[in-house]
Parts: sequence; structure tokens; C-alpha cells
Amino acid sequence: MRTDLKEIYLPLKARVVEIVDMTADVKLFRVMPEDAFNYKPGQFIMVSLWGVGEVPISITSTYGIHEYVELCIKRVGHVTSAIHCLKSGDIIGIRGPFGNGFTIGKTKGKDILFIAGGIGIAPLRSLINGVLQTTPPFNSSLDKGIPPLNSPLNKGGRRGVLQLIYGSRNPSDVLFNDELNTWQKKGMHIILTVDKKDTAWKGNTGIVTKHLNKLRVTVKNAHAFVCGPHVMIDAVMRDLSSMGMHEDNIITTLEAHMKCGIGKCGHCYAGGKYICTDGPVFSYGEIKRYNLKWP
Amino acid sequence: MKKDMILEKSNLSYWLRQLRKEMLLIGPMHGENGDIVLKTVENIHEIVLDCPALIPSPKEFLFPQKEEMFGFSTEGTKNYRNSKRRLIFGVRSCDVSAIGLLDRFYGGKFIDDYYTARRENTVFISVGCNKPDPTCFCNGLGTGPFLSSGFDIQFSDLGDRYLVEIGSEHGLSIVKKFSHLFSKPQKSDYDDQYEAILSSHAMFEKRINLENARQKILSGSVEDSFWAGVAERCFECGGCVYECPLCTCFNVIDRKYSAIEGVRLRNWDTCMFRGFTKMAVNVWPAEKKIMRTKRWYFHKLLYYPEQFGRFGCVGCGRCTITCPGRIDMATIAYRLKVGNNED
Amino acid sequence: MVNYHKMDKIPTICPYCGCGCGLYLHVEEGNIIGVSPIRHHPVNRGALCVKGWNSFEFIQHPERLKYPLIKENGVFKKSSWDEAIRLVAGRLTDIKKSYGPDSIGVMSSAKCTNEENYLIMKFARAAIGTNNIDHCARLCHSSTVGGLAVAFGSGAMTNSISEIADAKVLFVIGSNTTEQHPMIGMHMLDAVDKGATLIVADPRRTQISEFAHIHLRQKSGTDVVLLNSMMNVIINEGLVDIPFIKRRTENFDAFERVIREYPPDVAEKITGVSPHDIKKAARVYATEKRAMLFYSMGITQHITGVDNVRSCANLCMLTAHIGQPMTGLNPLRGQNNVQGACDMGALPDVYSGYQKVIEPSARKKFEQAWGRKLPSKPGLTLTEMFDAVLTERIKAMYIVGENPLISDPDSSHIREALEKLDFLVVQDIFMSDTAEFADVVLPAVTFAEKEGTFTNTERRVQKINRAIRPMYGSMPDWRIISEISKKMGYNMEYRATHEIMEEIALLTPSYRGILHHRLDGNFGLQWPCLDPDHPGTPFLHRKKFAKGLGTFIPADYIPPKESPDKKFPFLLTTGRIYFHYHTGTMCRRTSTLEREYPECCAEINPEDANTAGIKHNSMIKVSSRRGTITVRAYLTDRVSKGTIFIPFHFREASVNLLTNPALDPLAKIPEYKVCAVRIEPVL
Repeated sequence: MRTDLKEIYLPLKARVVEIVDMTADVKLFRVMPEDAFNYKPGQFIMVSLWGVGEVPISITSTYGIHEYVELCIKRVGHVTSAIHCLKSGDIIGIRGPFGNGFTIGKTKGKDILFIAGGIGIAPLRSLINGVLQTTPPFNSSLDKGIPPLNSPLNKGGRRGVLQLIYGSRNPSDVLFNDELNTWQKKGMHIILTVDKKDTAWKGNTGIVTKHLNKLRVTVKNAHAFVCGPHVMIDAVMRDLSSMGMHEDNIITTLEAHMKCGIGKCGHCYAGGKYICTDGPVFSYGEIKRYNLKWP
Repeated sequence: MKKDMILEKSNLSYWLRQLRKEMLLIGPMHGENGDIVLKTVENIHEIVLDCPALIPSPKEFLFPQKEEMFGFSTEGTKNYRNSKRRLIFGVRSCDVSAIGLLDRFYGGKFIDDYYTARRENTVFISVGCNKPDPTCFCNGLGTGPFLSSGFDIQFSDLGDRYLVEIGSEHGLSIVKKFSHLFSKPQKSDYDDQYEAILSSHAMFEKRINLENARQKILSGSVEDSFWAGVAERCFECGGCVYECPLCTCFNVIDRKYSAIEGVRLRNWDTCMFRGFTKMAVNVWPAEKKIMRTKRWYFHKLLYYPEQFGRFGCVGCGRCTITCPGRIDMATIAYRLKVGNNED
Repeated sequence: MVNYHKMDKIPTICPYCGCGCGLYLHVEEGNIIGVSPIRHHPVNRGALCVKGWNSFEFIQHPERLKYPLIKENGVFKKSSWDEAIRLVAGRLTDIKKSYGPDSIGVMSSAKCTNEENYLIMKFARAAIGTNNIDHCARLCHSSTVGGLAVAFGSGAMTNSISEIADAKVLFVIGSNTTEQHPMIGMHMLDAVDKGATLIVADPRRTQISEFAHIHLRQKSGTDVVLLNSMMNVIINEGLVDIPFIKRRTENFDAFERVIREYPPDVAEKITGVSPHDIKKAARVYATEKRAMLFYSMGITQHITGVDNVRSCANLCMLTAHIGQPMTGLNPLRGQNNVQGACDMGALPDVYSGYQKVIEPSARKKFEQAWGRKLPSKPGLTLTEMFDAVLTERIKAMYIVGENPLISDPDSSHIREALEKLDFLVVQDIFMSDTAEFADVVLPAVTFAEKEGTFTNTERRVQKINRAIRPMYGSMPDWRIISEISKKMGYNMEYRATHEIMEEIALLTPSYRGILHHRLDGNFGLQWPCLDPDHPGTPFLHRKKFAKGLGTFIPADYIPPKESPDKKFPFLLTTGRIYFHYHTGTMCRRTSTLEREYPECCAEINPEDANTAGIKHNSMIKVSSRRGTITVRAYLTDRVSKGTIFIPFHFREASVNLLTNPALDPLAKIPEYKVCAVRIEPVL
């Protein structure tokens, strides 16, 4: 009988190295897995706390850029609440990475639109940093940030326009504020908007769909990555599609109750697909084709 | 691989007794008042052959209702993977057919090591059915009453002897050592088996065609009012899923024995519950029962064929027995054919 | 003998509701790893409800009480059995000496076996010497026991569950059957499928009401009017069974005079049910021979609980719908062994088999058998006991497997009483809210760790079998009781539970032929079972009522004690939900059940919510004259306008802080089903 069975449900130990308070209910955890651990944007891991439980969390760091695995976690249920009580130095368990992740090959040279709502910025951050890394750093002397065609960093050709629309509930909920500046410096167009402004807020207000009329990207050729609450995702995908963006180019990540991350427990199953293994990244086309909502 | 043998009935007890020395022997035994259940065989002569569909299905030996996965403490984790050797004797073809599909499900890109460890240490001996229940409909699905492949060992009752068909290395391993008990089959043995198969087929009361049901759903002509009628009768007991030899869903929970010690375990779970898809903070994506009943039937009738090339049903009839609302697979397939209100 | 090291399936009985479904516990190496239904069991026939399917998880839960606990300076300390038993026996003896035996109250448990209930009853009466013994039937079906005893002479289901599917009319009043007695609901749906007419009378829209041919949504607390009015129609239209009334009943004339006061148009004003529906229901019920009436807490938990029950009995007698198969009056009992606990005399006024303590002949029989002089005055009921604590008549309580702090009305009052007690012993499987107040907590075992019998709602006495050894340091209740009794100087020597059953059979006419060896392998026996060869009785009152003639006892309408008014404009009704059971000790430690319904939700009609500015799933405050709780609002038209429904399972939002402790004057059952509240959003 075989003895080579992988212990697929046994978490790997990881040490919490640093915890950053982001907002009132969001914290960023930098963790160091005990073993080598690589992953790609859009993938998630199962985070375990002994005696409390296990939850799927998308990775917000980018492999190769960030030293640690970074998890941006909002306090919503009993496991995430317990995670919020951790101190640096504590040990957690992680399994993964799981999920298909974003495929960015097709976007080479094309315009890319990122749309994030609330905590949805977390998986997009991993992707945005990845995209910005594979294209040369912005050089103000170069025209509009487009790198020379022969740049070794830009194998696929010219980089297209990058734009981010990021909506938060209110100004104090905006995540990764510093990084937004860095991205802007690297040539990304950013529209930051809040649902409810306070007195200090000078920027945009309203939900993200309100700002779809300010696109810098060429809609017909662009790819969109949309993450956030599902009501927002629904609205954005519908609008982009009606604006002429190809359904297969509108990409999102779906969320679901998950217990295993490997397509066995059945909780995330919908329309013949497992969100955890076939997804969580799906295009609008796929979502419609497979009826990935409840039948 | 396939290898056929003949075992005289008088040799069966001896063989099982020898096997029991190295593996746990489980078989159909009398339970309470006419019931027959799968449990440890204490007395080999008390094994009940010709038994009806056993409740629950033998999946419980590979994927138990409650299974401890691993323990945790300050020392680290300890895997409780179970690899006890078991021989499960006297199951039905439909169940073996279901296990074939479970093997594919729990295998694949990610191998479920708890299931696989149990599976690789378990040998199933199925007995071709010569007494189908009134609730059975495996004949329409090719998952019984006799199988031509996909079993470890299949017995066919030929009166004074069994035709023993060995279908896997697993199966061969428990026959090899006792080859002196077996003989080579003659052509007449196969003729007798063919007779047995024919007469078994003639005994089925139900004629259920799941392909019809599938086509009907795919055609889009089944309205939500049909499913609403089904959902209305659902008691939310989860019995259909618990009993189904093909249902695989589980929940994972942690139990703490002390501040630092505990165990992670998994329990059977069912998509018939609204909490099955509950997300943190009061989001219940499947609040309405109709969504859940539809999901179960769509999974079995539409998505299994897409993913595995066969239905998510082996026609064992257990949901027919266990559903308090009488909305089991056979009934629904029939209703899809004739409409909700007719009988 | 159970083999602890192999995969075995032990047949036993579900520990949740009164259906008494048969199930197997799957045991592997001393671990319970699953359950499955008994396929041929006459109640569940191979099916189980969600609680049944998940009834194994709490058994080996790490939070089980592991050893006796003794409170010292407000903190529980681990103790040995010896020490705990010595302490309990000593303190009880002291209190008895100082204040008399009636200063001690005993609460038995409908979760314990018949044998244990009998023993606890014997312990109270013989060892302590008080009739202050009661159990939670007081809170669910004491009105049935009281009401039917006077009408028929026996307060139990007259028929068997397996008869339901063949009935032609099912009249379900005040019972959410598919959710609370799911396997009985299954038989009802079968009957409907076979063409039976289903009448449901329930203010709420429940699952069973979706199948009803006639759904009467009477206002809570107006059941007497509804039933009287139906009987008015039956009398007026000449649908009564005159020969039956003449030959088998008494007091019809007095009864008829009262019924005349309730024509349907009068009833409409009180109940809100249209005369058309009342007439239709009355005709359908009266004209069909095989008609079964079912009721549950919706009938009993009112200050008019006994009146409601009597009205149901009147309806059955009026139409001669009693004494035949598929025809009768069927109170659906809540707890797995609440029927048995009543049968065993865990009640202040009767010994086992409902033999009255005031009856000298009965008392003499028990005195002779037990070798002790027994008290002749009926004791205090459970609800009265807590009042008596506050007036210092009761100094000590011994509570077995109950959690009155959550389950009894007006919790603040109970809390006060528990704090006031000189000495409190709680015997349970988990630490409960009530146990927190105890001086000594004794760890008992679950149904899977002991032997004995449960009596289900259809009077079926069934055997439960031990599947595993007692967990940790726990002991079966019957052993604990006999040890304490022995220490108190009253010897109880039983080697096993079948010996207790023999004693029960000897002293209890209806259990005369019920012995353990007769219960194995044939799904038990239904009492009355009058001798060791008696086959049991599937339906009651065949040729005559248990008490001879059936008595019509008219009931006039008495409005609920507390009706909605300007200050508290909503009517609050309480009950159970499908996924949970009572105070949640077991089900809330079962992962699936807890996940399905993790927190207390108040059902509110969307129109009312709209007016009050309450959103679905938002938090609201519900207040009555007695207290306030915070719960989540669940908007649904299952409840009608003006009504709020809140389940009582949740300690963190204990609805019994709100309920009215007003009691039925006879049965002393509290009015859980009606009180006045107001609601407001939590901002």
C-alpha cells in the first residue's frame, strides 16, 4: 500500500511577524511560513487558529516582491475576530496556496482597469504590484510612462494604460493609502471614491459605478479586474459589459463559504464548479455561462 | 485486471475466518427487528446475504459521519489518518459502483488522504443482487444488479457455489494466499451467472430513466413552481445526503479539550441546510429551500454527468426509504416525467 | 455485552423529542462516530429528522461534566464521588431535620429514563419524605395530564403514530408538527397524500399549514372559542353522535348550554376566524369517521390550558371520534421521556401509574413496598416550588437534568429563588445556567451511556442500550440517586435497571407486563400492558373510557392574562424551532444544529416591522413588563400582524425574561404563549 500520501489537511506553521492596524476593523498580518511558500496573485490560503477554525483568506502580497506572506483581514466572523486578537510572534496554521489565481498573460500590452470596493483591494493589490513589477518603473522623462518597445522587462510589448477605481465606505476605511501614491507615481490613474465623505474629504464621492464615465482605458480592448462586495461586482460587471468590454475580459474573484480549499467539502460548489479550485477567479463570461450563482 | 474463480459455498466460512485474522471483517448482520446493518462480524454464520439496501451506505467506512482529522497541541499536530485493514463483505453492486466514483472524486489533483488511506486498506466484496428491493432502480443506470467491472471482488450466487470475479489488485491480494480454496470456472458457471443476472433484472419494480429527467431540465421546460412544490415538502433533515452513497460534503470543526489541546474533525454536511453556504455576518446565500433542493438535483442530474460522465446517483433507493417528505430521486424523476400533481 | 473495540451499531432511542424514533449509534473503539435510523421502526421507518441525525455529537463533547463539583467560597472545586455524595446526603439530612421534609424540593427530568424517574420519585417520597417532586411536564403538558384525567381518565395519546397515515381527517391545533415532531409530520403528509383532509389551527403559518386544506389562524389564546364554536356548528347541524353520547358520556346537557353561547359569528369577533371556515372545519371533522385530533403546546401553554384540553376532549366525544383505530385525541408530548416521567409519578400528586397520593389504598401499597411512611398531602408543583423558596418554605432543591433558569417563565424571579436557596444540587451532563447556582454539581451520563427505557408520546415503552462506557468520571442518574439515598439511610439496592423495572411493573398497573426482556427486538410495548403476556395497547378507550364514562366539561372563554395594550402593543408567543431543542444544552453543542440557527431571532410581520422602522436581520429590543432582551429581527409573514414569535432556546437572549408567569389555576402551567411586549430598533 502506498505511503506517499500528502497530508493535505495538515496546516503548515507560520509565524506572525508584524501586525498593522489598517482601519477600525481591518488589520494587515505579515506572516512567515516555516517552509518555502510561493503563490501567485489572486490565490488564497486557508488560515487556521487551533480550536477556533479555519477560513479562506486571499493573499495581498506579491511573491518575489514582499518578503512575507501578507494577509489583509477584516473582522467579520468568529474566526476572523480571533485572528484579530493575535499578537506578533504568535503561530498560526496555513494551507495552500489554493485557487487558480489571476492570469495576466493575456493582458500584456493591453489597458487594464482595476476596480476595488472595500476589502476587495486586498487581492487586487497582489496583482497590481505584480503588473507594475513586470513593466519598467515609471520614468518621468519617458512619454506617458510607456516603456521602450525593446525593454527586456516588457516582453509582451508596450504596457497599456493602467487605471484603478477604488471605493470605500468612508475616508477612514481607505486601505493601503501610501501604496496608492506609489502606484500613481508609477503611472497608474487612480480614482478614489467614498460613499460617505467627512469634512476633510476633498475627493470623489459615490459608488464606483458612478465613476465609470471617467475611464482612461480603451474599453473595447481593456481587461478589467473587479473585486469587492458581490452587489458591487454585479453592478460593475454589468455596466462594463454594456459599455462594450468583452465578457471574458471582465475578471473577478468570487467568495464562498469554504472548509477545505481543495474541492472536497462541497460548500463553495455552484453551477458545476468549485469556487476554490476552478476559481476563485472567474470572468463575467464564465459566471454567466456556468451560472455560478445559486441555481 | 480481471480474474475469475469458483468458491464452493462450504468454503466461504473458512476463507472469511482466515481473512479475519488479519483484517477487520464487516458484513451485513441482524440489527433491531428485521433490520440488517453493516457491522463487525462476530459469528460468520450470522452474515445475512440477500439483504436489502443497507442503511446507511458503506461510504461510512471510507468517509465516516464523524472523523477526527488531526490533533493539535503545543507540541504540534498529529495526524489521525486511519489505515486499519478492513474487509467489507456482502455489499451491493450499486454501492461498489458508487465507491468507484468516490475514488475519482476524492482522488484527482488534490488527493483526500483520509479517504484514500481508508480506501487503500479496505477490500469490498460485493454480491450480485438477486433480490432487489421495491425501491431499487440501479438496472436503469448500469450500476447493478451485477457489475462487469469496477469492483474489488464480485460474488455471483450460483446455488451451491459462488462465481468469484476479481477486479482489482486489492481483491486479488486476499484470494491469492488461499488459492487452494478456489477452482477454475467452467463455461456452465458463466451460463448460470447469466441466468442469475437475467432473473434479477426481471425482478425490478421501478423503471426510472434519469436521462429523461436530465433532458427535461436541460430543455428549460421545468419551471420553478415544480421545484417549489418539491421544496415545500423538504423537512430539512439531510437524510437524502447522509444516506446517499455518492454525497461527499463535509463540515470541519475544531474541538478544544483544553486551552492548548484539541482536535480538528470533519462531519457529514449537507447542501440541504441553509447554513451550508452561510458566510460570516448573517449572509445566507441559500436562504430559500427551493435553491437548495434544486442544487442537489441539478448536481446529481446535470453536473455529475459533465464532470464524471455519469449520474450522481446509483439507484440504490436509500433516499426513497429515508425521505420523510417523499421527494426522493426516484419520485422526482417520475414527477419530472408526469408533472407535479399527478400520481 | 458490547464489544468496545469493534465497529458496532447499538439500537437505541433518540434523546430529543417525544416521537421516540429508533436509531443506531455507530460505535468504533469506544467512540461514537455516527447514527443511522432503524429502518423498520414503527415511528420513523428509516427516516430521522435533523436532530436525530446529529444526536451523537454532544455525547462525547469535551465540555461534558467530568467529575463532581463542590462550591467553596463561590468557586467550584473538583471533588471525589465519595465526598460529594457524603456532602449531599449530609446536608439534605440536616435540612430535613431542621425544617422538615417538605422544605426540600426535587425536580426530576423528562430526559431521564423511566427507571430513573421512578427512583427519583421514590427518593423524594421515601428517602426524603416529601411529595415536592415535579418535572418539566408542568411546563408543557400538565394541562393535558390534568384535563384528560378528568375527561377520559388517562392523559396520553389515544392512538398510535403508525395509524396516522390511514386516517381520513387530521385536525392539528397548536402544533407545529413537521418541525417539532417531524416524524409524526411525516405520517401526516403520508395521510394527506393518500387523500386525507388536513385542518390546521395555528396563528402562525407553519410548514404543516402549507399542506392544510383548511388553515384557521385564530388569535393566540382564543382556542376555547374556536373549539366551542366548531362544536356549536356540529350540534346545530345535527352532526353529533347521539348513541355514543348517551351510552358513554355524562354531563352533556350542562355542556350544551355553554356551547350555545358560541355561534360562529360571535367566535369570529374573538378569534378572527371567519364563520365560513369554522363551519367548514366543523363539518369536515364531524362527518368523517376516521378523524384524529392532534394538539401540542399551542393548546396547553395558556392560563386556560386545561380548558383548551377539555374542549378538545369535548369535540372528540361529541363526534364519537375516540376509542377506535385512526380515531382519537392525540396530545403530542415534547420531551423524549416526558410521557414516562409522568407515568412514573414524578409529579406532586401521584405515584407511578397516576395512583393518587391522597388515595389511602394507593399510599398503603407504596408504603408497604417501600417500607416507609409516606406523606399524604400532594406536594408543590415546579412553578410553586420557586415561589416557596422566596417565602422560605423550601430550603433546598435537588434538580436533575433541568435548566429552569432558561426554561421557566420570568427568569429574574427564578434567579432570585436560586440565589436564596440554602442548598442546591444539580445533576446534569453539561454545566447549565442553573447549575452555576448549585452548591454541588453531579456529572450524569447521556442516553448513550446507560440502559433503561423511554416512553414516547404514543405510550410506547422502548429500551435504550448502552453504547459506550460513562464518559470521564460521570455516573448514570439512577446510580447517583441510589448512592445518595443509601447514605441518607434509605437503602436502594439495584444491580441494574431491569431490577428497577421489575419493581415498577409490580406497583404500576399500566406497566404490569412491561419488563426489559420483553422490550428487546420488538420496538417496545405500548401501555396499558396489564400482564406479562399482554401485547400492549395501540389505541385507548375502546369499549369504555379509562374512568368509565367520559365527562363533558364545558369551558367558557377567559382572555389571556395579559393582552396587548398601548404600552405593550404586540402579542409575544414563544416556542421552539426545528434545529434546536429546549435550552440548547445538547443541540447547541452540535456543530450542524448550532450553525443552522446560531442566534435568537424574533419573527415579525413585515408590516409591523415597517411601521416600527425595523429592518430584516437588524437588532431589536423586545420588552415586556418583566424585562428586556436584544434579538435579531427576522421579517416573515409566518406570523400575522401584531404578533411576535421568539424561540426560547437561547440563553444569551432568554425570552423567558419576558414571559408572564401567570398560571393555569388547575395545572399550574405558565402562559408561555401569550404576553404583551413592545419592540424597538437598536440604533
